Amino acid sequence: MNDNDPLLRLLLEFFDLPEDTGPENIRQQLLPSWDSLAMVQLITELEGVFSVNFAIDEIDRLRSYDEIRDALDRKGVSFHGPPISAT
Amino acid sequence: MNLVRQWIRSFPDVQKAAIMEAVESASLAKTRRALRLLEELDPEQRGPGLDVEILSTYNLEPLLPVLQLAMSCLPSQARPRLAPLDNIEAHMAQPARSHAQAVFDARMIIWRIEEVLPEALYPFSHGFPERLAARVDQLLERIERVVWLHRRNSPGIPLFLSTMAFPVNFANPVSAAQHCAGPFASVSRVNQKIYEAATSDDGVHVLDLASWAALEGRTHADATVDFLARQPLSAKGQVGFALFIARCLRPLIIPRRKVLALDLDNTLWGGVVGEDGVNGLKLGHEFPGNVHLRIQREVLELRHRGVLLVILSKNNEADARQAFESLPDMILKWDDFAVRKINWNHKHENLRAAAKELGLGPDSFAFLDDADYEREQMRQVIPEVLILNETPDPLQTLRALWETDAFDSFFVSNEDRRRHEDYAMRGARSAEAHQDDLEAFLRSLEMEATIQPIQPSNLERVVTMVGKTNQFNLTTRRHSRAQLQTMLASSGSIALALRLRDKFGDQGIIAVLLAVRAGDAATLVIDSFLVSCRALGRGVEDVLWAAALRRVDRQSVRRLEAEYIPTAKNGIVAGLYDRLGLQRIEHNSSSTRYLLEPVAIVESPSWIALKDETNER
Repeated sequence: MNDNDPLLRLLLEFFDLPEDTGPENIRQQLLPSWDSLAMVQLITELEGVFSVNFAIDEIDRLRSYDEIRDALDRKGVSFHGPPISAT
Repeated sequence: MNLVRQWIRSFPDVQKAAIMEAVESASLAKTRRALRLLEELDPEQRGPGLDVEILSTYNLEPLLPVLQLAMSCLPSQARPRLAPLDNIEAHMAQPARSHAQAVFDARMIIWRIEEVLPEALYPFSHGFPERLAARVDQLLERIERVVWLHRRNSPGIPLFLSTMAFPVNFANPVSAAQHCAGPFASVSRVNQKIYEAATSDDGVHVLDLASWAALEGRTHADATVDFLARQPLSAKGQVGFALFIARCLRPLIIPRRKVLALDLDNTLWGGVVGEDGVNGLKLGHEFPGNVHLRIQREVLELRHRGVLLVILSKNNEADARQAFESLPDMILKWDDFAVRKINWNHKHENLRAAAKELGLGPDSFAFLDDADYEREQMRQVIPEVLILNETPDPLQTLRALWETDAFDSFFVSNEDRRRHEDYAMRGARSAEAHQDDLEAFLRSLEMEATIQPIQPSNLERVVTMVGKTNQFNLTTRRHSRAQLQTMLASSGSIALALRLRDKFGDQGIIAVLLAVRAGDAATLVIDSFLVSCRALGRGVEDVLWAAALRRVDRQSVRRLEAEYIPTAKNGIVAGLYDRLGLQRIEHNSSSTRYLLEPVAIVESPSWIALKDETNER
């Protein structure tokens, strides 16, 4: 279900989360493994995968799926893949 | 990426795919996945243990998984571990045994200008030039102290010191370069000190991150994460950095390849010597011959670094040799190769034979060949051989030589530099030993040769031999019985047959030599000289030759003429008269004529007892 959402896929893999984890549950305050080290690694990962650079004031606002998605949206990263086929 | 593919070629496909995906994407999530898959392998598949302690002035913790994956690819059971950040001397001051995990295979010190010489970034704020120079002096002393501490507290453990790259983000690159005590020159002095430490101490190696950063370009850096966490590398930069460190560690655990086996056509020169001829080959200073010229320079450098060179070529040896001798721009010489296998055998057979001659295993070999078929066959038949190139393209062959780490070593010793000569001498000794063995074997046959005149009692056998012998037959003249009888009757002719007996019994007449007078009495011409194929390789031709010369000498003959007439089957004797010391006087495609003047008798081989029934001894 997340094949069309590269950000969701990245975060599930990055934090080693179950496939059915919903985006609303990907938040720093819910994930003990999202510590300061993971934060640094995640920024590098996002910059590498989406070819972006984050501004200083954005760094503090990358603490959930939604916040990261907003930041990437503002940088023009598109998440609009083909529609998910009904099963 | 090619290097990684070579390192991991023995891993199962699942692990290989995961590693390549991780390395190519530079994704930490994929890196972790690849590490998990590697954990599933047996320890033997994962390679030897490699514990490395890393002391650093900046934060390497975020890229520890990337570093671990890179080192695991060598392959090794990699355990990189970080000492407390930016606490180098205090940590080293403790004896190794008192560290939490005392034993490690290597120690690395990775430092950078931003922490150890920040004044170089702001020289005018820090008393450039005098005070900056004094700060550099202090840092040089610090480097000495660090090496001393390591030697005292962790003797015997290899120490890797990184050089320092000039920071990517720097405001004044023009004026920084204009003074011998300026920022750039200051950093050069520091790095020079590190090179000197490695030069003067066998246990110190350089991790040349300054060169790495220069080659990698500014995209290796990421200012955001550097400010955030004192981790200066971008995702791609982390992968490149980790692979570079892994490559530098590799000589600790993986022996280098000792031999480069390579093809000739379309490798050392462009074209195929057997088809294009020497004049049609491409080698020189113009494109594309300049690519092959560069390949030769690389290969020659390897030979001087102690890598033995072997030719594996499907060619006529004479054609190949002619190319070596005639091409004006050849850099490599015939004698630069410790072993030359130039024939039509399978290359894997030739490689095994070369390995045996050199006393090395096939796992000491790296292989270069333009033919897809040859590389694939080698890969399948002898998987231990490292195939360096992947396509027929000569430029790719050259790139393979530039990029390979197969011959990496920390030092090139005097022994390495002499290796080619040592092996060449050993090859000569081995040939002598082989000759000694052969002679002992021949003696054990207890051979006895009887020299007979050709006469009615043996004429039948001689007629048969003259009519049938193909291989050891210099002229292949099929004389009839009548023709032979005429020759025997002519004045001054010499007609000898050799009968051989050995410990297995009487072999009968197995060699014949016929010589007749030319116009004058002083010249004799060898009409026929042949040896039965069942007696080849025993030296009987030398016995018969010596017997013939004794007779020639007695007859006051001064000139002996001989001829080799090539056929499809008698190539085995193409060089016989040369070996016997005759002088070539005429050569064309249908015949080579020889002369021996004056005639002097020669020794008969000592391993064959001689009995002469001609009454003319």
